[in-house]
Amino acid sequence: MNKQAWIEKAKELGLESFEIYQSLSASKEMTWYEHAMDTFVTSKILGTSLRGIVDGNVAMIALEQVDDSKMDSVLKQLVDQAKTIQTPEKVVFATPKPLEEKAVSSRQWVQPSMQQVEKTMAKIEEKCLAYDPRIVQVGYLGYEEGKGAREITNSLGLHLEDEDQVQYLVCSIVALENGVYKDATKVEVVENFDTFDIDAFVKEVCQEALDQLGARSIPSTTCPIILEKDAMSSLFGAFAGLFSGDLIAKGISPIAKDLGKKIFSEQVSVIDDPRDPNALSIANFDDEGVLTKRKVLVDHGVFEQALYDIKSAIKMNTESTGNGFKSGYASPVSVQSMNLSIVPGEKDLDGLMEQMQNGLVITDLMGLHAGIHFVSTQFSLQASGYKVKDGKRSEPVTLITIAGTFLDLMNHVVAIGNDMDWSYKQVVCPSVLFEKCAVSGE
Amino acid sequence: MLKKEQLEELLTLCMRSEADFAEIFEEDTNKESISMLNQVVEGVDRSQSSGVGIRLYKGVQSVYGYTDIEDMDSLKNVIDDLVDALGPKDEGVKIQLKEEKIEDKHPIRIDPLASPLQEKVDLLMEGSQAAYEASEKVEKVSASLASVHQKVQISNSNGRLVQDDRHRVRMAISSYVSDGKTLQSGACSPGGSMGLEFFETTSPSSIGKEATRIALVLSQAKPCPSGKMPVIIDNGFGGVIFHEACGHSLEATAVAKNQSVFANKLGEQIANEKVTAIDDGTIPNAWGSQNIDDEGNPQQRRVLIDHGILKSYMIDTLNGRRMGMASSGSSRRQSYKYEPTSRMSNTYIAPGTDTFEEMLKGIERGLYAKKMGGGSVNPQTGEFNFAVQEGYLIENGKITDPVKGASLIGTGQEILMNIDMVGDNLERAQGMCGSISGSIPTDVGQPRLRVKEITVGGTANE
Repeated sequence: MNKQAWIEKAKELGLESFEIYQSLSASKEMTWYEHAMDTFVTSKILGTSLRGIVDGNVAMIALEQVDDSKMDSVLKQLVDQAKTIQTPEKVVFATPKPLEEKAVSSRQWVQPSMQQVEKTMAKIEEKCLAYDPRIVQVGYLGYEEGKGAREITNSLGLHLEDEDQVQYLVCSIVALENGVYKDATKVEVVENFDTFDIDAFVKEVCQEALDQLGARSIPSTTCPIILEKDAMSSLFGAFAGLFSGDLIAKGISPIAKDLGKKIFSEQVSVIDDPRDPNALSIANFDDEGVLTKRKVLVDHGVFEQALYDIKSAIKMNTESTGNGFKSGYASPVSVQSMNLSIVPGEKDLDGLMEQMQNGLVITDLMGLHAGIHFVSTQFSLQASGYKVKDGKRSEPVTLITIAGTFLDLMNHVVAIGNDMDWSYKQVVCPSVLFEKCAVSGE
Repeated sequence: MLKKEQLEELLTLCMRSEADFAEIFEEDTNKESISMLNQVVEGVDRSQSSGVGIRLYKGVQSVYGYTDIEDMDSLKNVIDDLVDALGPKDEGVKIQLKEEKIEDKHPIRIDPLASPLQEKVDLLMEGSQAAYEASEKVEKVSASLASVHQKVQISNSNGRLVQDDRHRVRMAISSYVSDGKTLQSGACSPGGSMGLEFFETTSPSSIGKEATRIALVLSQAKPCPSGKMPVIIDNGFGGVIFHEACGHSLEATAVAKNQSVFANKLGEQIANEKVTAIDDGTIPNAWGSQNIDDEGNPQQRRVLIDHGILKSYMIDTLNGRRMGMASSGSSRRQSYKYEPTSRMSNTYIAPGTDTFEEMLKGIERGLYAKKMGGGSVNPQTGEFNFAVQEGYLIENGKITDPVKGASLIGTGQEILMNIDMVGDNLERAQGMCGSISGSIPTDVGQPRLRVKEITVGGTANE
C-alpha cells in the first residue's frame, strides 16, 4: 500500500484529515484430545482500516484487500459516508506528541516449539486423569499463541507502531459423581514452558471441578455474599461502560450526571491504566494514536474521571484520555477501558470469609451478555459457588441466581480483598464482600 | 475468488500428505452499518473482508489455516504448514473439481449495499421517529441498520465445487424512557436473509413502536419475585429457551465427545410428549437460512425431537466421523477465520393445541415471560440461564403487574420434561448465536408454552 499516495488522494477528494490503521496478526493454535493432537490452526491476517473526515464527521472503511488502483473509488465512497453523518461535533485526528516515558511490559515471552507444546499437553492430560478417579475426561486442552503489530499513520504527520504478543493454555476438566457431571476451565498465560508448573496447574483445575461435585441449589434468601475475584471481575467488566465518555455524552450511562459525586462505597477506588506493566497487554497509545495514561476513575467512592476517545471528548468539551480502541481492525473506534481495576484491600479470601462468618461465596457467574440491564444496572445472573459457615468454606452451591442493582450493590461493600490476578484479564478485581444480595434458588 | 484450476492445484498439494480429505473455503463479505442517535446519523461504517480457510482431515484430526493474503505463494505456504502438521507424503491423488449449481432459495429484490445511503437513512428515521412519537416519556432513541453480503466458494478433495450468495439485513432500535429518576430501555431488532424489501412487511415504525412499548412496561415494572414457580413463555424470542436449554446440547460439537447431557440418547424420551423440535435451515429468506452449509452440503430440515423422542442431532462432517454418522448439513462458521462446526440454523418448537386460558388456569403464583432476552448453557452439565426482558406476574390465574430484573435457570434435561402445555401461535425471532465457530445468525422460535416449574431469579424475596 502506497500510504503517501492514499493520503494525497484523500486530500484531493476533500477529506480534511485521513488516517490509515493497519494490523498484522499471526497465530498458532493446537488442541489435544484423548492422547493425540485433535486440531491445529494457523493464521495470518493483514487488516487495514481507513478513516476520513468531512465537515468534522468521521467515517470508516475497513479492507482486507487493499488495491492502490481502487484508491479513487474507495475514497469517494468514504467521502459519501462522511457526508451522510450529521453530528454537530467537529472531530480532529490526533497530532504527533512526544512520548515522555515508554511503558514496557514485564512479560518475558519465550516461544515454545510445537513439539514442546505437544509434550506439555500430553503430560497435563495424563496428570489430570490420574489426579482423582472422579475426573473422567479432559474435555478441552488447547494452546494458542498470537503476535500482532499495529501501525497508525495520519495526514497530520502522525506515525506510530507497536507490537503485542501472548501465549496461553486452556484446560477443561470433567468430573463425575453419582451420575452428575461438573466441569471446570482454567486459562493460564505461559511466558516460558521451561519454568511452567504443570502440577500446580493440574491441581487447580482438577480441584475446582471436584469441589463442585455434590453442589445443590439452596432456598431463596437474601444474605451476605463474597464475589470471588473472577466473578467480581466478570460483573465489574460487564458494567465497565459506566465510565464510557461516549455513553455519558449520550446520557445513557447511569452515572452520566454524577461526576464529582459519590457513586460507590468509600472503600472502592477504580483505576484504568493501559500502561500498567503487570497487565497482559499494554499500550502507549490508543487506536487513534492518542497517548495513553493512568487515570483514577473512582477515588474512595467518588466518581472523578470518565474515559474518552477523541469524538466523545469533543462532545464533552474535554480531551481524549487515550481510550479510543477498536475491537479488531474492522471495528469502529469506541471508548474502551484498558486494564481497569478495583484497588485491592488488605484481606485475603480467607480473611473475607472470616469477616462474613455466614453467607455465600460466588465463584462463577454465567449469562453476563443477557442477564444485565445496563441503563438501570439491574442484573439477575446464574451463579455457583459455596456456602460459608462460621467463617469457613462449606458445601458447594449451584443453580442459583444472584440479582440486584449494580450501583446499589457497589454502595454496600463491606470489605475488599487483596487477591488481584493480572494473569490474563483486562478487567481485574479482587474478591469483594457485600453486605447482602438477593439469591434465588429452590 | 480463486479459479477452478488454482483450487485443483491447491487441493492436490493438500492431498500430498497423510490427509484423507481437504477443503478450501473462500469468502468475500461486504458489510455496512449505519447508526443513528436521536434522529441524527452518528456513523456510517463499511468493511470488506475476504480470505481463504484451508482444512485437512486425517481420521478425526483436523488442521486448519486461514489468511487474507490470497496470492498462490502465500496459500501454498499455509498448505505447507498444514501438511507438516499431519505428515507429508511423496505421492497423492490429483484432484479434479466439478462445479455444482445450487438453486437460490433465498433470493433478494433490493440489494441493501447497492442502495443509496439516503434510502437507508430514511428507513432509520422512520423507525426512530415512530419510537419517539409512541410516548412523551421517550428521552432517547438509538437505531442502527446492518447490511451484510457474503459470497462463498467451497471446494474439496471429493471434487465438489459450490458457491453461495448470502444477504441479510437487520434493524435494531432501542428506546429509552425516563420515570423522572432513572432510565429504562426497550429494544426490538428484527431481520432476515433479505434485501431492503424486508421493511415492506416489517415496517421500521412497527420496530420503533415495539421498542418504546417494552421500555414503558419496564418503567412501571416491580422487582420480580424469586423461587420455583410455573412460567408461561410467549412465542417468538421465547424460543431461546429451547435454543439454550437443549439446542446447543444437540450439536455434534458437544455430542461427539460425550460432552452433552443428551449424548447416546437417540430414540429415548428426553422431552414431554407435547414437544416436537425442529432445526430448519431451508426456510425461504429466514435469518438463519442458507442454501448450503459452510462445508458446501445442502442445508436441511432436521426433526430433532418428535413428540418427546430424540430423533437426531445437528452434525458436521468431522464430528460425524467421530460419531459414525453422516453430516446433516449443519456445519456453520462466522467467516473464513473460523473452522466450521455443527451449529443451529432456524430452531423452533412446533405448534400444539393448548390455549392461553388453559395455561393460565390453576396457576396461583407464576410468571408470564412475554419477551425473552438472550442466555447461555453449559452442554456438559445441561445448566442454562436466560433473561426475561418483559415479564408479568400471574396471580390466581390472571396476569397482573409487570416485573423486571428476572432470569430463568435450570437444566435442559428437567425443563424439556417440564414443558406441559404448547400453544398454536408459532413465531420465530432473530438472534446472533455465539459459539466456537463464531457469531452466526440464527432464528429461535416457538408457540406460547408453559413450563410447570422453573427457578425464577428475581430480587423481591418474600
